[in-house]
Amino acid sequence: MTENGVDLVLDGNAAAGLLQEIFVRDITTAQIQCESCDSTGAVGSLHLYAMPMGAVLRCAHCDGVLLRAVHTPHGRWLDMTGTRYLRF
Amino acid sequence: MTVIETSAVSVRRLEWQRAEVRKIMVETPRVKSFLLHLPSWLGHLPGQHVDIRLTAEDGYQAQRSYSIASPPEDKLLTLTVERVENGEVSQYLIDDVRVGDQFEVRGPIGGYFVWTTSMGGPLCLAAAGSGVVPLMAMLRHRCRRRKNRAPALLLYSSRSLEDVIYRDELDSMAHRDSDLHVVNTLTRQQPEGWIGYRRRIDKELLAEAFVPPEWNPNIFVCGPTPFVENVSRFLVELGYDSLTIKTERFGPSGG
Amino acid sequence: MTKRRLRDGSRSKGTPSMDKTPISRGFRSRRQQQTPKIRLPPGQYVTMDFPVLSAGPTPQIKVENWTLDIQSGGSLLGTWSWAAFEALPQTTIKRDIHCVTKWSKLDTTWQGVTFDDLLKALGLAEAPTPYVMAHCDGGYTTNVQVADLVGGKGMIATRYEGLPILPAHGGPARLLVPHLYFWKSGKWVRRLRFMKADERGFWESLGYHNYGDPWKEQRYDGD
Repeated sequence: MTENGVDLVLDGNAAAGLLQEIFVRDITTAQIQCESCDSTGAVGSLHLYAMPMGAVLRCAHCDGVLLRAVHTPHGRWLDMTGTRYLRF
Repeated sequence: MTVIETSAVSVRRLEWQRAEVRKIMVETPRVKSFLLHLPSWLGHLPGQHVDIRLTAEDGYQAQRSYSIASPPEDKLLTLTVERVENGEVSQYLIDDVRVGDQFEVRGPIGGYFVWTTSMGGPLCLAAAGSGVVPLMAMLRHRCRRRKNRAPALLLYSSRSLEDVIYRDELDSMAHRDSDLHVVNTLTRQQPEGWIGYRRRIDKELLAEAFVPPEWNPNIFVCGPTPFVENVSRFLVELGYDSLTIKTERFGPSGG
Repeated sequence: MTKRRLRDGSRSKGTPSMDKTPISRGFRSRRQQQTPKIRLPPGQYVTMDFPVLSAGPTPQIKVENWTLDIQSGGSLLGTWSWAAFEALPQTTIKRDIHCVTKWSKLDTTWQGVTFDDLLKALGLAEAPTPYVMAHCDGGYTTNVQVADLVGGKGMIATRYEGLPILPAHGGPARLLVPHLYFWKSGKWVRRLRFMKADERGFWESLGYHNYGDPWKEQRYDGD
């Protein structure tokens, strides 16, 4: 548990399965640009929070939210408001 | 927001398929490997993982991700699982599963944390506990490709000697291959006469064990989140290019 | 979507096709055992841990810099510094909490300022609008109806089991609305904004249920 203050952060790679349900392809090697700070990197290298409620992928530089995804019994949701582009 | 698709690779939906346990191997007191037969498996890259799904008779389901331990060259798919306290799925796998049992698997998943011999080396790997699993797939793959083996190093942190997963196999791989080095550190208990490292991986240990930054190694770090964060930070401080460091955090307590 | 009644009394939302899905011999939920079933909403299991789930890194907030704002329309109805907030009437409650990821924790004790006491401190006989959006450090938001906050149902909590709430669990102050799924109890709350019309917060706008009653198993939008 994180009583000792360690953040429950994973790598974007750990969201690969959930993302592949939505994109029907593996986007972890895709390049993604953060709209807040312009930095670019692979989706797999983003910081992943909020599992298992969903995937909240944050910029490894500025912590801005790039992508949010949720799998529900009624469908899958995707929000990419903080992303300037996804290149794959 | 722009989405640019540059490759023409055909895409495939991740589907659940039936897996049958063909063999179970005890690796350490808390760790077992399960060799699975999957009739529709299309192959994988070393470092990738799968999702497994268990279904109880009453319909209750539980799903977890596990790294693939076997190289793509193997016919059966190997998952190595550590029994985690309060781990609903890992306890079932370690305590109850027998040869012949079935569950569902989908994958392979995650093309980011991947190394194949075509990516070249040197290859520097750092693992703690069950974090060694995806790195072992990489080493086993490297071992099967006999030509032009890139130099490789595994720095592996375990609590005690009996907790070193794949211990005999790693010893024998390193013994047969002068370009493979395995460095163990035992953090809690060391056997009589142990002359190896006996502390958690720190900056000094990394500086001693890893090839220098100028050699531009491909680096993979895997294990509990605090371990991965510390090691990544040390590596960047030691001058390794952060773009060459790939991490797989297993969460606070491990895989 | 059919809701099958399972042997242990809980309901499953849609069953996998039993012909295609291999049953994992001997696998059963280890979690649904201990339960005083009458206290557990459907689909939940009791945990002795206190799991942490966050949508982002834990903000490290110094109480000297902490303020709580209450806002309505464009106006600031009130604001408290930490010292002023601690001086407000304190209430201690013991409740069960239920996370949408299925764990429940029974008999948790919290101390803080009830929503009713916040209204009183603002000199308001009642809330100016029916809806509230909680805004939290780190950008998290969650919407709650005033009806689910008044009458002692909601508070801004500062202590858990008698001790200051740890940062990982939402300290120094979090919203606490224990009769709804725990994602509604926004960690690191800093502002309550009254809204004339309901708006969906962070999870509610991404597939989770807008209301979130655990007893009706309202986990997802469409449940």
